[in-house]
Amino acid sequence: MSHMIEISGLTKAFASGKGIFDLNLTVREGEVFGYLGPNGAGKSTTIRHLMGYMKPDRGSSRIAGKDCWNQAPAIHSRVGYLPGEIAFMEGIDGLEFLNLMSGMRGMKDNKRRDDLIERFQFDIKTPIRKMSKGMKQKVGIVAAFMHDPDILILDEPTSGLDPLMQRLFIDLILEEKARGKTVLMSSHIFQEVDRTCDRVAILKEGRLMAEKNVADLVLVQRRLFDVVLASEEAAAALSRSGLEVSKCEGVRVRIAVQGDYNLFLRELSQYDVLSLDVHELDLEEIFMHYYDREETL
Amino acid sequence: MNMALLRNMAKVHGKTLASYISATVLYELLIIWVYPSIANSPQLNDLLTSMPAGLMKALGVEGGIQKYNDYLSAQFYGTLFVVILMVYCIMTSVQAIARLVDRGSMAYLLSTPVSRSKVAVTQAIVLVFGLFAFSICTTIGGLLGAQFLIDAPAYDKGLFVQVNLIVFLLFTFIASYCFLISCLCDDEKRALSWSSSLTVLFYSLDLVGKMSSNLTWMRYLSPFYLFRPQDIVKGTFPVGWVSLGLGIGALLIFWLSVSVFRRRDLPL
Repeated sequence: MSHMIEISGLTKAFASGKGIFDLNLTVREGEVFGYLGPNGAGKSTTIRHLMGYMKPDRGSSRIAGKDCWNQAPAIHSRVGYLPGEIAFMEGIDGLEFLNLMSGMRGMKDNKRRDDLIERFQFDIKTPIRKMSKGMKQKVGIVAAFMHDPDILILDEPTSGLDPLMQRLFIDLILEEKARGKTVLMSSHIFQEVDRTCDRVAILKEGRLMAEKNVADLVLVQRRLFDVVLASEEAAAALSRSGLEVSKCEGVRVRIAVQGDYNLFLRELSQYDVLSLDVHELDLEEIFMHYYDREETL
Repeated sequence: MNMALLRNMAKVHGKTLASYISATVLYELLIIWVYPSIANSPQLNDLLTSMPAGLMKALGVEGGIQKYNDYLSAQFYGTLFVVILMVYCIMTSVQAIARLVDRGSMAYLLSTPVSRSKVAVTQAIVLVFGLFAFSICTTIGGLLGAQFLIDAPAYDKGLFVQVNLIVFLLFTFIASYCFLISCLCDDEKRALSWSSSLTVLFYSLDLVGKMSSNLTWMRYLSPFYLFRPQDIVKGTFPVGWVSLGLGIGALLIFWLSVSVFRRRDLPL
């Protein structure tokens, strides 16, 4: 498989001391690549380099063999881009915006655009200044996907979408993946990374911390389960069972599981379980933990 | 240039431009309409000619205002019209680039296969086209107004068109440096304050230089020095050379703006 996106030695230092430093990454053709890290880690800065908005201090980034800074227009004809901050032009409605984008892309056929609008269900005639954040996000998604690009660069694509629309979006990514498209997306939401990405890169303070297969990441990921048992005695017994218990209040026990779900299930099957809840961690919490681990190792 | 972007921008700026222009032409017609009553009032002219020479120059009435050309150049081209065009140049040039960069919508325009140069050139064309529409409308308004609104006095239509040509080129030049500032700034407010400060400074230099003969040198620092409707009307103004100079100057600055915009980092 050839490399669709290649970042080599990419460095950009800002006056604030932030930036990205000697970044090396490759995304293979047909791969969905998650780009993770806390706010300010340099995710958007990397994406700005990929889109040719910024010139690197050192190093380079290439998409489909072309240099992102010098050959941006040629790259853009194959790329769909969803910016992290949605800011459309003022004084126009959604349809006019999409017409502008398809006009600038020289598109003739609007079928795919109309399908996407149908799918995400929004009124394209709404003036942009009256749109909610979620609705703007939908317009942005349509603008990124409507020309059926080979490569998708998505900066926090589901922010602002409700859970239903987030699922729709995940389905869309999976479809594109099945059609052989290459996707690089930054994200904060573990679910969407977990369900869509093949590999992830984790960024911290502008430096690459790790590049992993998602399957491996799931292994190191710690999840918290809230278990409600029938009696306090049972709860107390479960707390002593050798599982990692982070909290025990009455009949409610919070158990941290990392990797070994079978042990957890075996232990749990010995009790009368009234309810079981996954305590959702957002990506930052997960990776903060992950960073701590890396540092202590 | 990109047609889709041009159409969109024409639509977005069109309404504002149309209201600017219609207000201006209305004002022009009003000025024309009161001309007969002024021209027939020798007292007013006496009053004007009794003023100190510096003040007359500052008001742009050193040629008196009884001849139609003199009157229009003083009452219309010398006053509010200039201010309206200044506002138009500053506002539109800031909106053309700096606002789109500041608010982030430039990210969309530049995510298409249209290059930065093409986007910038298109925006510059929209800006200059607006000025052109202004000039065409005020020229036609002036010519028709003189024809139909009042008993047409004898006046030189050629000189009137020349005044409009210089106005167009002067403000194209002003628009060019405002556009350059817009291309340099990440921040819409900074672009606005830089381009308006500079333009007001130029305007004041010209005004102060006109008023005091000791400070005449100040006028030479300002592009507004090249706009002397009274001299054009008198026929002592090198319209051809000044047009050429303004035109080439504006083109160079627009070219510089596009190349600056092409090479810079954008915080999108």
